[in-house]
Amino acid sequence: MIERILLFIMIIVGFWGIVTKHNIIKKIFALNIINNAVVILFVLEGSRIGSNAPIMESGITHIVDPVPQALMLTAIVIGVCISALALSFAFRLYKITGTFDVREIKRQVHHEA
Amino acid sequence: MKPEDLLFAPVVLPLIGAALVIAAKAFLSRKVVKIVEYIGAFLGLGLPLMFFAIIYPTISNGVVIYGIIGGWHESVGITYQFDGLAWLVNILTYSVCAAAWIYSLDAGPEGPSFTSVFLILTAALSATIITSDIFNLFVCLEIVGISSYILVASTDKPGASLAAFNYLIISASAMVFFLIGVYGLYRITGTLSYQGITETLQTLPDHGGTSAIISVALIIASTIIRVAIMPFSGWLPDAHALAPHAVSAVLSGVLIKVPLFALSRVLSFIPSGASAGQLLGYAGALTAVLAVILALCQNDAKRLLAYHSISQIGYVVCAWGTAIHVGVASSQGEALMTAAFLHAFYHALFKGLLFLSVGTTVDRAKNRDVYTLRGAASILRASGERIPVTLITFLIGALAITAIPPFNGYISKNAISYALDGTILYYLLFVAGVGTVASFIKLSRIYWQKPNEMISTKPQPVPITAHISQLGLALICLISGVIATPIYANTKNLLTGEYPQYVTNWYSPATLMKTAVIVMLGAGLYLLTTTKIISRLLKKLRELPSHFESLFIYFSIGTAMLVGWMLWFK
Amino acid sequence: MKKIGTRIFITLGLLPLLLVLLPLFLDGTPWPVAVRNYLELNGVKDSGAINLVSSIYLGFRVFDTLGETIVLLTAVGGTIAVFTRSGAILTDGYYNSNISALTDSEKQMLLDDPSFTLAGEKRLSHVLRTHLIEVVTGVLGPVVLLFGFYLMLYGHLSPGGGFQGGVIIASGIIFLALGNRIGHVNFLTRALVLERIEACAFLLLVFASVIGTAMGEGFFTNPFNFIPGNPASFIVLLNIIIGLKVGAGIGFLCIALVGREIV
Repeated sequence: MIERILLFIMIIVGFWGIVTKHNIIKKIFALNIINNAVVILFVLEGSRIGSNAPIMESGITHIVDPVPQALMLTAIVIGVCISALALSFAFRLYKITGTFDVREIKRQVHHEA
Repeated sequence: MKPEDLLFAPVVLPLIGAALVIAAKAFLSRKVVKIVEYIGAFLGLGLPLMFFAIIYPTISNGVVIYGIIGGWHESVGITYQFDGLAWLVNILTYSVCAAAWIYSLDAGPEGPSFTSVFLILTAALSATIITSDIFNLFVCLEIVGISSYILVASTDKPGASLAAFNYLIISASAMVFFLIGVYGLYRITGTLSYQGITETLQTLPDHGGTSAIISVALIIASTIIRVAIMPFSGWLPDAHALAPHAVSAVLSGVLIKVPLFALSRVLSFIPSGASAGQLLGYAGALTAVLAVILALCQNDAKRLLAYHSISQIGYVVCAWGTAIHVGVASSQGEALMTAAFLHAFYHALFKGLLFLSVGTTVDRAKNRDVYTLRGAASILRASGERIPVTLITFLIGALAITAIPPFNGYISKNAISYALDGTILYYLLFVAGVGTVASFIKLSRIYWQKPNEMISTKPQPVPITAHISQLGLALICLISGVIATPIYANTKNLLTGEYPQYVTNWYSPATLMKTAVIVMLGAGLYLLTTTKIISRLLKKLRELPSHFESLFIYFSIGTAMLVGWMLWFK
Repeated sequence: MKKIGTRIFITLGLLPLLLVLLPLFLDGTPWPVAVRNYLELNGVKDSGAINLVSSIYLGFRVFDTLGETIVLLTAVGGTIAVFTRSGAILTDGYYNSNISALTDSEKQMLLDDPSFTLAGEKRLSHVLRTHLIEVVTGVLGPVVLLFGFYLMLYGHLSPGGGFQGGVIIASGIIFLALGNRIGHVNFLTRALVLERIEACAFLLLVFASVIGTAMGEGFFTNPFNFIPGNPASFIVLLNIIIGLKVGAGIGFLCIALVGREIV
């Protein structure tokens, strides 16, 4: 239970970070935080029903649930790809406007577009 | 080989095309890469249309092809379901994507990277509607998302990168909540397929209770961000206005509709899904009105079209939501669902047409402001268009969206209004129709009169591919309006399994009278907006600051309202 | 004052969503065991892999893995495209063609320099690395590559697999690039070679998915379910393809991005 509360706090922090931080890089950090929180949530909760890793060598029983782990492999890779793309947008905007502050970028870009 | 074996052709063929283009780009010289691009596009956008023709007889007999990818056991494999809805949405996807790709050959971004990402987007859109597994829906929506962020940013305009970034952040955060919803559902039911979830939830007391409702609400809210009804639509005007023209056509035409129809299957998990449909219906109607008011204020031609996309998708969501609320099996529900799909399909066609025609025009005239651009018709003639093809196709698109007979917009809008007759939604959509007429009169003014400044250099000639794609879409708009009754009948059969019992009279005196009233009121509204007071008010509305945080606050409040509504009206 | 007011307003706006999540986190329903029980009994028999997680994402739910690979491919291509468009000169000649700020001799020097090696007099920006890195990573590079290949090939028997092994192969490639002797070009660290490996691997993956259809058994079925052979061979094949693809893709991304910038 305490782990779930901690993960809930992590999600709060991540979501709050995405919305309120003005630096683009910090928004991307927060997106990573919230992605990681969800991954930990799935794997943690799936591990409660067993005590062995799901590698079926001879004599292994009572394994943890392997399905959340497989799903989260996909989710981690997708999260990394989104972060990479977001960072490339941040770099592009930095080259155009010279700043990472979203408000400043918006002001400059609306003057040009 | 039965047709069912080729079921994944619409997903695999574009992927093979994309893989060939990527391999050619790495190995071969530029000229050969261009040839491989054409081969890849034909494989990926042309061959699937043949597949749809082959499989149509099976589907129209009511056969639902259902299976598990790889033939594994049901509890661990990924299930898929190909029924009439999947067939129709795929036709929508492929027709618009093919036209947009042909347009992009000369006018838009071109090159192997654009073609490969475009083909991957098409494959993912196809997979979104065929899949019957909630985590696979997540993966497909992510592929759609990531390819659309790249396509939006594939231009040199600085605003496009910021628009793509905003779209990325809101979409990626929404998908995190989608995953939390999947967590909730998997915890309660232990399975990920739609069928398994529905059956397991039925065996539980209270259909899974609060947790099931919250999980389904999170999944709905995350998907509705992509559908962009208000208040979730903050990202759409920038992204669609600043993207290249071919990409805007695909975004407005296809990307805001496919997640909606994929969501139809999710809403049947729990009985509260019906009340969610009711709330979405109201939200859709309000969106239709509010977005058209905002569209009236805009001065940039493509932003005006983008706000109109929001308004028209409001029509579709209104009909779709109400259909789910009254039950898809009832007669009103069937009529509404058919009307919703028809309007989605026709909107994809005429909105794509409008984006392509207006795009050609503003590219020649080098000005996108509807208040200052005049005389585009003569500019187009100066650029070598002897027959004013672009002007004609724009007019066809404008007549279609304002619901003038005999074009297809008339058929679909009246189908929706007829099925919603008597409710407050009917009046809201009426008001939205008036606003649509007014703003299209405003937009069409860019073509008349003489140009404001003399164009010093001869504008570039309009490429033949632009003409082909625009004419193709315009022709389909005209034909689908004229042969409306068989199309309506077959669509209803594909969606619900039975043909309509009686033939609707599309040209009844009452409907024609209503159309005439809407046009007159629309013209009056337009004249009203040219007065000083109203135009100052519109300017104030246009310049309202839009904050980045507001996207998320609306998402938060909207999700909470959805959960509250679903819990209240269990 | 106004700033605090806005912050409070925003926090209050985000509160509803977080309140919605709370019941989901406090839910005490026991985690379902049906799938775990089924896999414990039948997982190894059906798919041939001892590592059940591999059997899920390369056997039962392999379509998701195809989607994930596509996301990676698109992200790598898109990131490079966005970078080239913003005026950065990437290595091996990937650059935006309107760079007019350089003199011709400088441009020629950049275009000729094929590798990632940092010879102090050739680079336009200051040298950022020390000899310590070059020596250590140069020696460790092949070891890391070997470890990556091991993880990739043994994914069906122990923790590992295509993605895990692929990422380590990518770091091996970066180690090799960092540790190159001055003026020496390593075959595996050329961006063009990595792009070709990635393209071939993706093509092979798409063809592997239609083998089942060509045999008449449906999309993405394990062909070894119908022809004699160990079903795990298909998993090993997929691991190799995915490992090469991920390794080459991420390696290509990192190496291409280390290039030079024109201000």
